[in-house]
Amino acid sequence: MRALEFEVRSGGTIRIDLEKCESCETKACVKMCNATGMGQILELKDGVPALKHSLEEVKRGACTEDLGCELDCELYGNRAIVITLPVSKLDDYLENSSEQPTYLREP
Amino acid sequence: MARLLEYQGKALFKRQGIPVPEGRLVQSVDEAMNAIDELGFPVAVKAQVLSGRRGKAGAIHFAEDRDSLSQAVRELLGKQIQGSPVEGLLIEEKAEVQKELYMAVTADPSTRQPVGIFSPKGGVDIEETADTEPAAIFTTPIDILRGFYYYDAMDLLRQVGGLESREMLTLANLFTRLYQVYREYDCKLAEINPIALVEQGAMALDARVDVDDDALSRQTTLDIDFAEEAGERAATLLEIAAATIDESDHRGTVHFVQTDPDASYARTAGKIPVGLDAVGAGTGLTIMDELVPLGYYPINFCDSSGNPVGSKFYRITKVIMAQPQIEGYLFVSCVSSQQLDNAARGLIKAFKELYPRTGGQPNIPCVVLFRGGWDDVAVDLFREHGISDGRWIKVLGRDTTEKETAEIFDALYREWKKETGGLQ
Repeated sequence: MRALEFEVRSGGTIRIDLEKCESCETKACVKMCNATGMGQILELKDGVPALKHSLEEVKRGACTEDLGCELDCELYGNRAIVITLPVSKLDDYLENSSEQPTYLREP
Repeated sequence: MARLLEYQGKALFKRQGIPVPEGRLVQSVDEAMNAIDELGFPVAVKAQVLSGRRGKAGAIHFAEDRDSLSQAVRELLGKQIQGSPVEGLLIEEKAEVQKELYMAVTADPSTRQPVGIFSPKGGVDIEETADTEPAAIFTTPIDILRGFYYYDAMDLLRQVGGLESREMLTLANLFTRLYQVYREYDCKLAEINPIALVEQGAMALDARVDVDDDALSRQTTLDIDFAEEAGERAATLLEIAAATIDESDHRGTVHFVQTDPDASYARTAGKIPVGLDAVGAGTGLTIMDELVPLGYYPINFCDSSGNPVGSKFYRITKVIMAQPQIEGYLFVSCVSSQQLDNAARGLIKAFKELYPRTGGQPNIPCVVLFRGGWDDVAVDLFREHGISDGRWIKVLGRDTTEKETAEIFDALYREWKKETGGLQ
């Protein structure tokens, strides 16, 4: 599978499934990323998203982790982007908790 | 602030040459029995929790033989002391004490410099002594650039009265060593209460060491988890998880503290526990003031500041929503210069992951208030993603006050409770 994957400053990854991008008509992620106040790290290259900066620069903070690419791709694109942002030790807490969090329970 | 447990503090004292009773950290009866072979009786058995007044809380026992040691260990391990579970015990030789005194070095915010504190009334709560017998507390400001020397300590101890020359010499020596602990480990407080005069000199019977959390990055040998200051208790696992969010990312901050970790206070007071995220600490306090009279109690405090990136909002939302006791959630921003559309994206991503079946529409009452930069975009994003259509969420804009927000939440909660009966 052709994919663009890169790490971000806070510890996490952004993965873009470029095969899905090929048939995407909107390229919403690139538009969003280049909007005012956003990260401005994506550009179109050969019809699919590519990084304007090196992987190192992106990881150092060039990506502002605004999450706009993933959310706009979900709404207007081909659902090609997955941002994974682990919360260190949160799983430990959930495993050790005697009660389930409310989002897993039914009213 | 990162507070060390007694045995950790004593290890630092020992490294700086401050005598402490010989002791062992144990986590089972078997370990205690092995330790006693080296220590011998009598011993003190001390619960290792961060709360003060352990003696009054029944967290310190004494054992004269194996039976009483075994009983003390069984009784203390796993016990809750002022809300903190006892996971370890310090077993140490019981000292023959002739006199108990107090000694500390701490930061004085009013003079912006360290201060040395001494009192002949040791072994009791020093704040209590300050109230009841202020004349029994002696202090000396310390010039941090010049340092604190033996003769500085002697000058202070001479004012005390009632100390023999030999005792003053011993105590002055320990005072300078305590100052070294304070400086070397970037402390906010290095305290010995009590410091005991014993036949062979003096020793620290207890240790309280609070390290400045801003210095933890260079205090790697201490091996302590960073978390926001939570008063007398140890940081919860959730607070430690929340503190990792800022660990490697300087772009804005999220400060998270559980004000009522098990919601026992809220329940006892007849309040409904809710989760809270505020942009701006003042707004956080204001919304708390509006919620409490209506019958709700935020069991966490959270302040997101400095224009955090969207990923921080995503992570902190997952942390807040992980609290199993909450029956509602509020996100409230002050009229902020933060880019609130990023905050919205963080919340939306979290909600969508937590509630995949409903596309992010929550199952408990949630009120989200955006006021400030890009607030209109933030409100629109919730609508575009279909979350605003959820039955149990209200997304509000800049015309709404904290009071109105609390009232809207109250109405939503009542409707939710009436219709669903609440969470199972």
